[in-house]
Amino acid sequence: MRNKKVHITVIVIFIIIVGVSLYYVLTEPINLGLDLKGGTQIILKPIQSGEEEEIPESKLDRTIETIIERIDRLGVSEPLVTKDYYNNIVIQLPGVEDPDTAKEIIGKTAELEFRLVMGTFISVGEERWDPIEFDYEKGRLAIDPDTELVLLIDDISSLAAGRTYSIIGELLIDPENEEMLLVEYKVGDSQEEASEEGNGEESSNTGNEIKSVKVIGKIIYSQETAELQFADYESGDITGEVLVDSRTGAATMVEQVLLTGDDLARALAGYDKYGAIRVALSFKDEGVEKFAEVTSENIGRNLAIVLDEEIESAPYIKVPINDGEAEITGIDSIEEAKNIEIVLQTGALPITLKLEESSTVGPTLGRDSLNKGLYAGIAGLILIIAFMISYYRGLGFVSTISLMIYIVLFWGIIAGIGAALTLPGIAGIILTIGMAVDANVIIFERIKEEILKEKSPRVAVGDGFRNAMRTIIDSNVTTLITAAALYRFGTGPIRGFAVTLSLGVVISMLISLLFTRSLLFLMSGVPKIATPGFMGVRIRRSE
Amino acid sequence: MIIIGVAGYFLRGGFNLGIDFLGGSLFEVEFEKEVNVSEVREVMNELGYSSAILQMVKTDLVQTESNRFIIRIKAKELGEPISTEEKDQILDLLDERIGVVGELLQDRTVDPGFSRVLINNALIAIGISIAGILIYVWIRFEFRFGAAAILALIHDVLVTLGIYAILSREINTSTIAAILTIIGYSLNDTIVVFDRVRENTPLTGRLGYSRVVNDSVNITLSRSINTSITTLFPVVLLLILGTSALKDFALALTIGIISGTYSSIFFASPILVVWNNRFPKYKK
Repeated sequence: MRNKKVHITVIVIFIIIVGVSLYYVLTEPINLGLDLKGGTQIILKPIQSGEEEEIPESKLDRTIETIIERIDRLGVSEPLVTKDYYNNIVIQLPGVEDPDTAKEIIGKTAELEFRLVMGTFISVGEERWDPIEFDYEKGRLAIDPDTELVLLIDDISSLAAGRTYSIIGELLIDPENEEMLLVEYKVGDSQEEASEEGNGEESSNTGNEIKSVKVIGKIIYSQETAELQFADYESGDITGEVLVDSRTGAATMVEQVLLTGDDLARALAGYDKYGAIRVALSFKDEGVEKFAEVTSENIGRNLAIVLDEEIESAPYIKVPINDGEAEITGIDSIEEAKNIEIVLQTGALPITLKLEESSTVGPTLGRDSLNKGLYAGIAGLILIIAFMISYYRGLGFVSTISLMIYIVLFWGIIAGIGAALTLPGIAGIILTIGMAVDANVIIFERIKEEILKEKSPRVAVGDGFRNAMRTIIDSNVTTLITAAALYRFGTGPIRGFAVTLSLGVVISMLISLLFTRSLLFLMSGVPKIATPGFMGVRIRRSE
Repeated sequence: MIIIGVAGYFLRGGFNLGIDFLGGSLFEVEFEKEVNVSEVREVMNELGYSSAILQMVKTDLVQTESNRFIIRIKAKELGEPISTEEKDQILDLLDERIGVVGELLQDRTVDPGFSRVLINNALIAIGISIAGILIYVWIRFEFRFGAAAILALIHDVLVTLGIYAILSREINTSTIAAILTIIGYSLNDTIVVFDRVRENTPLTGRLGYSRVVNDSVNITLSRSINTSITTLFPVVLLLILGTSALKDFALALTIGIISGTYSSIFFASPILVVWNNRFPKYKK
């Protein structure tokens, strides 16, 4: 009798748990993962710079803060930005309309620099001249091997417009070690001729006679920073760098950094008075002073505005600018201007990030996956129930009840803790349904065996359970070990699968070892129910 | 079975590793009308992506045209995946020739460096779970039970991978998750049989060990088959009804479950008999 009380208590507790679960199932919507509701996931890996062994936690946290700020400005609702085990930054953006723009803005380092332009490299041929492009992949100048003369000229727009410009030097390349030297350019009268005509025909006769020339500097490729630096020949100091001009693709030499994004107070995308797209920049107090100084000392030169190692624009300094206002022009679209505004307003990321993985699922496909997964689950469930009832008869009904409880508990826990249901998660659920039934099958087979030994249903249930328990625990623990390994070493979707798998295993184990057991014990006490036929055994019925 | 799998591996020149492992891009396009593979192929060839893998998304098995295609472009050897500009270029030309509906259904890019991390993680996860299981079975049973169970499990994984190689199915992260599940499932199955063997071992003196194992297998047979059937119901339905990602997962599971049941009966148990027969405890 005492036993009976225990079993009733267990069942009552389960009914309460199921009730609570059902409440969550009905009130809390399931939190769908990006692969089911549509959205973009981006994984960014921090790139270590030369000096530091490991990326400091504080820098990573600041990066995440900046990224969150940028996402806010993009107007994405409910973004999720986290660090994973390997310190990668994982960004989840539900329902983003333009994932490519989001990717670009979020991971952009946005390092803004103001540097004076030294000049642009051009290759000079018989009839024409061309700006030399910058080969991004190799970090080199893309010089055609047939080119005989490469010049550095101070103002390419003047050259193009036929105005006065001057030649700073000639680039000599040692064919053996690819060492690049910038030397003074002296070919008698062609320089004058060039400045007079300036229409592209200036260097028809360069004269190849060997003469001693003065070396101005050396261009060095730094492996570590992947930068093409310019070093003064006499002192050896690095005084400049070769960058790409984003508007023309031309390789342009700039001097050292004068001001940075840290000096900025504000950036604003909009139109100037002529209707051209621009991003207006204004400096902080200190920046205003520095900017005034720079502009007054360098009238007549071009000041490059460099964003992430690319020259965005290089305005000509006409007069000193004392109010600390500057602008980036030459932008193709107002959207692009807005993007620049966002990255400048939120400031540069303290570390450079590399895109490791991005994955976007459209809302249509997501809904499709969810529906199909659910259909398969429901249809599978019906088949399982039909099979269990036809094979195990009365016990089949018991397992149907257990299975229903399993699904309500599982769903309730997922909804209750707000875990996101993902595609592999659905696969996990479907698999664990099969495993939940397995526990029942093991128990029922054992009970059948005991009944075949002509034990009374009551004793058979007791003995059957005792034997089945060990098997169920052993087989489920091994599955849990696998799930733990999956969780610990898996990434993203695999982890979701591991969580559903272990959750399912634990729930089904509790149900079969507590609820099913108590229910069967109580039922075995009722003579009308506890017949061998109910247990799915037919052969002994005649006795 | 293993031999067929291994032969398949060599015949097909290795596994068809997905972009998760090699790095690259994948995107699913919806066209305005139904087209066949060669029409899409033509556009890809024109842009120089002759190695792109085109997969038609079918709603039934016989159709030869579809308005949905999954395009995979693997990253070049140690190279970068295609850039946003290159992708836009492909989409523009597809739009011009065939007509593309709105946004991409899915769009995924994996850096080759990152995919190496994924491979490592998957291998570590498999290694750790095998070691953990071996230790657990060792504690609960005996070392030889654990070793025989692991051998059965390796059999299942090899069979699954072999069939993947024969079918040239793509191996991606969900395949790996499925294989790890198979590991758990196969073990589950083997342990149910071994548990019965352990229980019946005291009868060895009377019946002989191979008889004990044989009886144990027979008595658990209906359980093994019933469990496999019930687990297979939803998995096979997923294979028939699911979207392509779910199908990948379901295929591996289907093979693994069948193989797992088969191996505990015909593979792990005979090993146990042969091996344990060499020890006095299990002699008649």
